[in-house]
Amino acid sequence: MIKNYIKTAWRNLWKNKIFSALNIAGLAVGMAACIVIMSFVFYEKSFDNFHTKNIYRLNEVQSFPGMVSSQKVGLSMYPMGPTLKNEFPQVKNFTRVKWNDKYQVTYQDKRMFLPQAFSVDSTFLQMFDFKLIAGDRKTALEKPNSIVLTQATAKKIFGDVNPLGKTITHYGNDTVIFAVTGILQDIPKNSQMQFDCLFSFSSVYHKWMNRWGGNWLDTYVELAPGTDATILESKLPAYMLKYSGRPDITKFYKLFFLPLKDVHANAADIGLDYINYQKFDKKATNLFAIIALIVLLIACINFMNLSTARSAERAREVGVRKSIGARRLELAVQFLSETIMLSLFALVAGMILVWISLPYINNLSGRDISINLWASPGTAAIIIGFTIVVGIVSGIYPAVYLSSFKPVQVLKGSTESGGNKGTFRNVLVVGQFTSAVFLMIATFFVVKQLRYMQQQDPGFTRDQVVTVPLDGNTDQKYDVLKQQLLSSSLITGVTAAQDVLGSHLDQTGVTFKPKNGPAKQLALTQLVVDNNYLNLFGIKLIAGKNFSPAKSASGREYIINEELAHELLKDQPKNTPIASLIGQSFGNDSLGVITGISKNFNFNSLHYKVETMFMFNQRNWGYSQLSVKINGGKTNEALAFIKSVWTKNFPDRPFEYQFLDDHFNDVYKADAQISKIVSILAGLAIIISCLGLFGLASYAAEKRVKEIGVRKVLGASVQSIVLLLSGQFVKLVLMANLLAWPLAWYAMHKWLQSFAYRIDIKLSVFVFTAVLSLFIALLTISFQSVKAAIANPVKSLRSE
Amino acid sequence: MLSLKNISKYHKAGSLKTTILNNINLDVDAGEFVSIMGPSGSGKSSLLNIIGMLDEPSEGYQYFLNEPVHQLKEKQRSALYKKNIGFVFQAYHLIDELNVYENIETPLLYQDVKAAERKALVADMLDRFQIVGKKDLFPSQLSGGQQQLVGIARALIVTPKLLLADEPTGNLNSKQGDEIMELFSKLNKEGMTIIQVTHSEKNAAYGSRIINLLDGTIESSKNI
Repeated sequence: MIKNYIKTAWRNLWKNKIFSALNIAGLAVGMAACIVIMSFVFYEKSFDNFHTKNIYRLNEVQSFPGMVSSQKVGLSMYPMGPTLKNEFPQVKNFTRVKWNDKYQVTYQDKRMFLPQAFSVDSTFLQMFDFKLIAGDRKTALEKPNSIVLTQATAKKIFGDVNPLGKTITHYGNDTVIFAVTGILQDIPKNSQMQFDCLFSFSSVYHKWMNRWGGNWLDTYVELAPGTDATILESKLPAYMLKYSGRPDITKFYKLFFLPLKDVHANAADIGLDYINYQKFDKKATNLFAIIALIVLLIACINFMNLSTARSAERAREVGVRKSIGARRLELAVQFLSETIMLSLFALVAGMILVWISLPYINNLSGRDISINLWASPGTAAIIIGFTIVVGIVSGIYPAVYLSSFKPVQVLKGSTESGGNKGTFRNVLVVGQFTSAVFLMIATFFVVKQLRYMQQQDPGFTRDQVVTVPLDGNTDQKYDVLKQQLLSSSLITGVTAAQDVLGSHLDQTGVTFKPKNGPAKQLALTQLVVDNNYLNLFGIKLIAGKNFSPAKSASGREYIINEELAHELLKDQPKNTPIASLIGQSFGNDSLGVITGISKNFNFNSLHYKVETMFMFNQRNWGYSQLSVKINGGKTNEALAFIKSVWTKNFPDRPFEYQFLDDHFNDVYKADAQISKIVSILAGLAIIISCLGLFGLASYAAEKRVKEIGVRKVLGASVQSIVLLLSGQFVKLVLMANLLAWPLAWYAMHKWLQSFAYRIDIKLSVFVFTAVLSLFIALLTISFQSVKAAIANPVKSLRSE
Repeated sequence: MLSLKNISKYHKAGSLKTTILNNINLDVDAGEFVSIMGPSGSGKSSLLNIIGMLDEPSEGYQYFLNEPVHQLKEKQRSALYKKNIGFVFQAYHLIDELNVYENIETPLLYQDVKAAERKALVADMLDRFQIVGKKDLFPSQLSGGQQQLVGIARALIVTPKLLLADEPTGNLNSKQGDEIMELFSKLNKEGMTIIQVTHSEKNAAYGSRIINLLDGTIESSKNI
């Protein structure tokens, strides 16, 4: 029996090649999109799932006076780990982690920079389940000056020599000689922690580290199983008061725990989150999953639509089969096996598409997603099972509907009994186009918002600026570098600062002493800059003057931003002019004064509002970012020149640079990925919907061929027939637009809330989408309509 | 074999009641060859459909092989006709996607006949109708007469007790039509009960009884 079904199904498919191809292609694309996105989603969910202990990261909510809003940060203080363990029996273990970018190590005559070195407490390897190939988890990091390398790092440093017990040296602010005590398997890519080596925290100790108030590392705690983290959190204020010795600490800090497995995807609102590789908001991941499911739904609707559209053709067969003894159930099974077969074909085609598109998706997302069905029969079973479900869901309506035909009616030839199934099909088309239009509108807004962020004037100019990182040693030669660089006409300006624009800047406590009141302690964003900083970046002053180049002024002149100016004038009479702040006492140096007020500029990404900040020029605090403005026309020569100057001064230091523009592209990378993926999915949704529309239009034209013939004989023009055939679909697409608008408006309104600087929701986008969707739909339909309209009526009216 | 008592059939569309069959009483014995005649719209096909249990009467009592059909449920009725009645259609109604062999075999599939037995039965039938050479052809590759032959073979494969034919020669030319009627006559002589609907006096004359319908009532019934 099954053989008979398959045979009929196959011959039916073959007989209607175009129809079948449309049907399979639509579903295949939908499935491929869904599989790719779902494997991305599962990859995201797999982050850090190889750790088995009940680990939480300690985070702070900081609310300092002078800040516009409180902020969540992933940082904590050095004394917190040990005191937490001391205070609470539920805290079984803790480890602190400090990241060290570009960590210099030397072995014999080999010198190299490790991209990331973590200093950790000895418990690190006991808490985290990174695989250790050689060495002892318990003791490897116990002693000071112990270092554990990843396999790749060991290979890089030692080649084929066994590294255990060998020593390597770090030259830097602190020079340390390390003994290699363990080798780790390379860190999986789906780990929030990415590092090349671990070394014991005890290797470097300074007295200042143990101070409460310095937030410069991450703390992880292991809680006893069954511990309620929120109950523990509620006891933390008392704990801080007890240990910090600062009675006001709870005014500024609130602590909270974040489960380790939530750090990757559920920490979007946490700033200063340095140990969080490929941090990606789960809201975006969920959005992808939802959109992928919508695309699949559209594809399934398509599939159902195209299958039911053909039911009239199959009606006669149903009648015949019933009259020769088929039961309804047998017919339903027959139709279901046909749709299941089709969906399995679609799966094969879809897997080919997945295979083709996966490298592209990996490239786009920076992930390492692979789909190996042979290796994971569970996944394969799920996918195949799901495909069969899709086949059943898509086939259930035709199966139930077709098998209900009464042989008497269908064998008489009058198959169109009742118009209600046409209505059902129309509802499906509307549903499909509503989803597609919704995605289109969403895409327009996502793309527009991204472009807005990239093009909006941040209050400074960032083009043609090359940034070069400086460290304690290279910074000492900054003045020499500056002088040599400026000697060339390729360079139009050189400045330096303690940090790069487009990042979270450090915050610090500052005293402000107004003329007419008591001194105030404020916590503000600070940026140490060279005195020509504002000139190079084109940051405008709205009051006062720029830094003076005089050495004696160093560290005593402060330029504050507009936001801070307003903050400082908060408790002054209403109409106090901003300029009145000039000359007032500011900063921790008793001689410091405010000399200028700058216009607000977005030193962080546009996700964040401009915070209160000040800049000052304290040369001896050191710079970490050199910024060189180059002559736009001669980029390559300028770069070569900067490199030559660098190598002349620092022959043994690699020259590293980044264009500030590229840095900002990195800042908006997650946004760009989201917008790209959403656009692709929206495009697919439209394509699939149009495939369906094409099929339906051709079916409608075929079904009405006699009617068209009669109309033509009665004198209807080609245009009027095209209009007649297209009109019904145009109505559906218009209806879909009306349904999609409020949904899209609501969704976009919600989404845009996550940006401090955002575009307005304009009606024009909606109208444009409507016009575009109509245009695409018409283009799809008109091919069939015109074909039907210009056909010779003699042919269509000839009876069999 | 079958008996219709006071059978009526009507459609209701709003307040409009269209009567198709009006108080029909008819008995057919085993071995008869009945021809139903009448002008278009007189209810011939409707009567045939009711006899074949493809359609239900609005009123009346119906017995088939001593079973009260009007009391049976849909499932029981279809089981009853599936075993005992073969249908032949004016438009042949072969399944386009199946070839000759498969078309004839399909009713057996629906009766869960074993593969080996199916093979034997279909082979016999192909032999009997001398269409062995055409068993792999599809309906579209056959002439009308050949298609009807396959249609009849398909109807007979389940060895029914009653053969119903709705204008079996309506789409055929006269030569092909004659051949089909000869076949029916031969089947009747072998013991098959046949009821056919026809427009043609000549074809009606092959039967043993002619029933004339007019506006849903039996106008005359005469044995030949």
